[in-house]
Amino acid sequence: MQDNYLAKWLNDELTEAELAEFKKSEAYETYQKIKDSSARLESPEFDMDKAWQSIDQTKTVEETKVFILSPFKKFLRVAAVIAVLLASSFFYLSTLNESFTTEYAENKSITLPDASEVILNAESELAFSEKKWDANRNVDLKGEAYFKVAKGKKFTVETSEGLVTVLGTQFNVETRDDYFEVTCFEGLVSVTINGKETKLPAGNSLLSINGNTTMLKTTLNGTPSWLSQESSFKSIPLHYVLDELQRQFNVEVSAKDIDTAQLFTGSFSNKNLDLALKSISVPLQIKFNLDGNKVLFYAEEAP
Amino acid sequence: MKADQQLNVCEEQVYKRVFNETSKTIFNYIYYKFGNEAKANDAVQEAFVKLWENCAKVAPEKAKSYLYTVANNLYLNVIKAEKVRLKYADATIKTTNESPEFIMEENQFKEKLDNALNGLPENQRTTFLLNRIDGKKYAEIAEMEGVSVKAIEKRMHLALKSLREQIDGI
Repeated sequence: MQDNYLAKWLNDELTEAELAEFKKSEAYETYQKIKDSSARLESPEFDMDKAWQSIDQTKTVEETKVFILSPFKKFLRVAAVIAVLLASSFFYLSTLNESFTTEYAENKSITLPDASEVILNAESELAFSEKKWDANRNVDLKGEAYFKVAKGKKFTVETSEGLVTVLGTQFNVETRDDYFEVTCFEGLVSVTINGKETKLPAGNSLLSINGNTTMLKTTLNGTPSWLSQESSFKSIPLHYVLDELQRQFNVEVSAKDIDTAQLFTGSFSNKNLDLALKSISVPLQIKFNLDGNKVLFYAEEAP
Repeated sequence: MKADQQLNVCEEQVYKRVFNETSKTIFNYIYYKFGNEAKANDAVQEAFVKLWENCAKVAPEKAKSYLYTVANNLYLNVIKAEKVRLKYADATIKTTNESPEFIMEENQFKEKLDNALNGLPENQRTTFLLNRIDGKKYAEIAEMEGVSVKAIEKRMHLALKSLREQIDGI
């Protein structure tokens, strides 16, 4: 007998030999009775019309429901996307650094999260991470800024020229092309240039031009002159002075027949251009010509 | 008819045709499983409403197996099977010339068969009744239950075997 022969028998799939053999078995009679009797079985009444009606009803109710819901669902979908975008951009932005920039002839005063004060001179940029501020007081600086650091953990100013580290003091940092100057007004500042660390006590300033580092004396407990609207210089090559003039007054400065590498000591007003131009030209015995926002310095003709 | 096949289940006429062809089978199918008429009616309702909601996604030729699946999943492990009560078509009226002994024997046999049917495991009873009452082919039952034809044959074989054993008191 093959597998499941009872199922095959019910389905008339047995071979004649198998059927004959099956008929001989004593169980056959009962199986035949089961087959006959079960053929007359009936399932309970099923009211098809009633079922159809109730489905038809639910169907229409569902339809209207869907009609009402679908615009809202669409709105929800859009809202969800916007929410995700907002949330992710918020998290992205909050990890970005806080940043401040100043243009030509502009100063800005910034209060850091620990109440330290920073005053940005013209055309400078300061960036710091507000989130990580508690872990390390770290700011990135391009240009010039005066720092009044609140006492606390190590405070680091990172510039392209070097690192300035302090614990709590007042100092000025200036970085321009190949020019790096740190002036300490109070406390002790540590300046690292190319891995070389220099301690800078109060009343000193460190100047690095094209990699040549010199230490200079300055006033104790003072503030940088630019805070009182004056730019002062002590043996600084003239072209840096002219660059500063350009930054402070937002003018285009050019020089003709002048040795811009000569050293300049003096100061100029950041408020009065005419006065500032005179402050530069008179001691150097050169002339200037102001035309709109263009300034030309030229050599005084030989008498 | 071919054009009709192409039509969506969302078309009222296609939907109605599927209902006429399938609703009774679904009702019986769930009834054989659980012996509960109310639940069987609910299953029909639920399956067809689901089909309507998803009519765009269900191809007409897949509609039947979709309905079976919905009905089947509805009570999955949720309700306990009750006693299945089946009626017998009154064949005895036509055979009034039978002796009273024969009729009595016949009725006794029916009672035994009823008891034996309720003693079957759910899947064997469902398979047996779908075949015997609804005349479903093994292949159709296999599609409804989501198993192979071989498995249905096995169930059928075991169902007959245990029915016979119950009835003959082995």
